[in-house]
Amino acid sequence: MPDITSWLLSWAIVAGSAVLFVIAVVHLLVALLLIIPSWRILTRAGYAGALSLFHLVPVIGSFIVMAILAFGDWPAGEARHGDGGRH
Amino acid sequence: MAELGALAGLLGLGGAFALVGLVLAGWMAWRIVEKAGLPGWAGLGAILLTLTAVGTVVPLVLLWVFAFMRWPRDEQGTPAIASGSAGAPRPLAPPPKVLPDRRGWRLEGGGVSLAFDESAPSYRLTGGPAVEPTDLVVPDPSVGKPHARLLTAANRLGLEDLGSPGGTYIDGARLLPEHGPRDISAVRSIRLGSVELVLSRV
Repeated sequence: MPDITSWLLSWAIVAGSAVLFVIAVVHLLVALLLIIPSWRILTRAGYAGALSLFHLVPVIGSFIVMAILAFGDWPAGEARHGDGGRH
Repeated sequence: MAELGALAGLLGLGGAFALVGLVLAGWMAWRIVEKAGLPGWAGLGAILLTLTAVGTVVPLVLLWVFAFMRWPRDEQGTPAIASGSAGAPRPLAPPPKVLPDRRGWRLEGGGVSLAFDESAPSYRLTGGPAVEPTDLVVPDPSVGKPHARLLTAANRLGLEDLGSPGGTYIDGARLLPEHGPRDISAVRSIRLGSVELVLSRV
């Protein structure tokens, strides 16, 4: 007869792994919804689209991408203030 | 201070972090949409929508819309040369990094040699007699009166066709008035009507 403690431990590991797997899949799906538009925005701004993969970083990933766009000088040029958004 | 303490206690540490994150995200969204040429409040508003009942779905949709919509920044095209057709011509914007170069420009061909520099922001190429000090005369019946405009600034030279029937060509390619000013700093020659003018630095 197997030891009840090791049996419970095995089930806890299986259940925990399943929960982690579901969390990871959901995280990837949500990140994908952010990565696709961010890739295009970064490309239009003149940056490498791959920077949008920072969305895969939990919690702060979106902030990193936004900070790059908000505080960096866009290589493809920015709209100038005071002329209606035109160059 | 007591109220702030009570508010912090109400929100908890997680709530305080969420508040800071929300303010930071709103500020960055404001800057991002402004760089695209849209009003900054639109970006801030999109972030603040997360506080409402719609949650994060609408801001996510707005992110997709922002990514694929037309940006006002893109409508003007390249800002290389300012338009001279509407009112007085504006000077060309200098390139970001440039070595000092005080040389002028020369257009040579068809029996004329026209030298000019950056002392004036624009010159007019004409087939008729010079009216202004900045008129450059190319005495040929195929050259309009006036025919084209040259724009100068910071080692760069622009050319704008003024709609003369003889036509203006840059290295053999037709330049139309609706094209606006084009940078010809690196071209070999231009043609006004039937007169070929070779461009060089002097």
